Amino acid sequence: MKTGAVDLVQLRKDFGEVTAVDGIEIAIEAGEFFSLLGPSGCGKTTTLRLIAGFERPTGGKILLDGVDMAATPPHRRKVNTVFQSYALFPHLDVFDNVAFGLRRAHVKKKETRERVTRVLEAVQLGDYGKRKPAQLSGGQQQRVALARALVLEPAVLLLDEPLGALDAKLRKALQIELKSIQERFGITFVYVTHDQEEALTMSDRIAVMSGGHVEQIATPQTMYDEPETVFVADFLGVSNLMQVTAEGPEGVACRVKVGAFELAAGCGELGVRGETHVVIRPERVVIEPYEAAGANRVPGMVERVVYNGASEQLVIRLATGTVVQALSVRDGTPEKWTQGTAVQAYLPAEALRVLPPSPTGSAAPATPEEAPEADEAIEVGAG
Amino acid sequence: MRRVRDWFANPWGQPRFLGAFTWLYMIWSIVPVIIAIVFSFNNGRSRSVWQGFSTRWWWGDPYNSVLHDPVLRGALEQSLRLAGFDMLIAVPIGVGLALGLTRWRGYGNRPVNYLMLFPLVTPEIVMAVSLLLVFDHLYHVPFGTEAQILGQVTFSISYVVIIIRGRLLSIGPEYEEAARDLGASQLGAFRLVLLPLLAPAIFASLIVVFALSIDDFVVTQYMSANQQTQTVPILIYQTVRGTATPALNAVASVMVFATLSTVALAYLVYRWAARSQPAGHSALGDIAGVT
Repeated sequence: MKTGAVDLVQLRKDFGEVTAVDGIEIAIEAGEFFSLLGPSGCGKTTTLRLIAGFERPTGGKILLDGVDMAATPPHRRKVNTVFQSYALFPHLDVFDNVAFGLRRAHVKKKETRERVTRVLEAVQLGDYGKRKPAQLSGGQQQRVALARALVLEPAVLLLDEPLGALDAKLRKALQIELKSIQERFGITFVYVTHDQEEALTMSDRIAVMSGGHVEQIATPQTMYDEPETVFVADFLGVSNLMQVTAEGPEGVACRVKVGAFELAAGCGELGVRGETHVVIRPERVVIEPYEAAGANRVPGMVERVVYNGASEQLVIRLATGTVVQALSVRDGTPEKWTQGTAVQAYLPAEALRVLPPSPTGSAAPATPEEAPEADEAIEVGAG
Repeated sequence: MRRVRDWFANPWGQPRFLGAFTWLYMIWSIVPVIIAIVFSFNNGRSRSVWQGFSTRWWWGDPYNSVLHDPVLRGALEQSLRLAGFDMLIAVPIGVGLALGLTRWRGYGNRPVNYLMLFPLVTPEIVMAVSLLLVFDHLYHVPFGTEAQILGQVTFSISYVVIIIRGRLLSIGPEYEEAARDLGASQLGAFRLVLLPLLAPAIFASLIVVFALSIDDFVVTQYMSANQQTQTVPILIYQTVRGTATPALNAVASVMVFATLSTVALAYLVYRWAARSQPAGHSALGDIAGVT
């Protein structure tokens, strides 16, 4: 049986008055690449530190393969951490850094040498044993940090924004490498990040956190296509969120009113009635000539055209006053839409997703009128 | 004239005025020391009229040279002895206190942090008088070497705490956490990771404490018992108005050399230690932060 299953049961951590982690329930399967995703201050790093043992939970249980380890000190847990700052010991060379854990475990000298050599080769740093951490580049330091944790063959590897300090290109390369190492070693990875693209690329499953709560746990595809809360819809990718009033008889379809326009919404929480939000991804919005007629169409005007290389981002101000983004692939057809053109925005019912009303408003996203940054759209459009 | 002025005020050249000013100050501050050292080699009793070169005040004279005069030698030995004990006692206690103050989060943490600065801002004479009173009436510490050490340790600790704490704050808790994560116990993490990282700061503290102790006059004077517990500063102070010989200059020179060689040693050790330290920290920097 594979080891490395982590169950967080009603896990809670208070720092004085502040609740960092508020009774979360997460079941991480053995051998899974699991990401904790959220903005800073959402409790993801505290959750990781609780699993590592650097913090003591205020309540709840942390089960590793079914055994509660809340009372086990960090140096006795079969869990290792890759720190955001790497925390390589500057006074030791690469070899001694990697051998540190094995020596603490009193592994025989010969075996230590073999295992360190093997893991250094696995991260392509075979010739760097004698170097000091200060003599390595950021990416190399990152690999040493990884090797230092992997050499102990932990059941679970915790990674706290390990690629945060690297430049974009290196980050992409290391994302792929991390994923392949995870598959090769078959270790459970718990990966903390605020970078949604990173989480979508690498993870088997993602937990989106906000304000100490778990918003949704799902695979990357499900998370992107079927966000369950306003927060998730807004945090992952570019979303067009619209405040609506859901109406109509109880049934399959749900009619939502955006200002004076009535649209049919085909997916999501179709049972919801009253004030709520709908979301539609920019790539699902179809821009048509102003003369086009039919259901689920709202007239508007092209406010801005942002050229993204492979695609074009259109910012449309609808007649309701709401701003909607649309993404059109540049497939060679001449550009139809210029700034100031009157158009119809077709919002297909099957792409219009009804979200449950947000309970408090603390998790309310940025107002839909606020157009997200253009570069954010590039990342999502390309992925 | 104009050309000279232009050359001097050249905006692309070296800031010559600042350079000249710096050198002027260097000369101003170093000349007295050099003159004092030079006159320790005077072949006569005068400390102001040059009468030829000789080493009689260092070791030549069988009665009045530094090497043979028991009073001079005693003072030198007492100075070094106090400095030694001060370093041995104040530094470990200071390191412990600094560790406690940075890692301990609780009530009383802040006031203690402020109180740590107290000995630095209290006028030394006030501190000396207070120590005299409590040692005499409250703790009944006999005056002499013990009282001198206690007095010096009392104010040295503050300096150590400030140096070590600064370093601890810049190191941060990650290295210790990493060590614990990799299977080291709390004590192991301290010994294998924190202590090596603190080494430059500990070394800097040793140097600072040495310099403080060698230099101290007020507290040491108040705590001294008799001629046997005189240190060099006390001796110089007492004989300066009497019949001083160039031997006194020689003693003072020994002090200068001792201090200089400590700084040189500090520099060498720093260079050696800096090989494996993260950039941006230096023992000299740690010292410079305080003195």
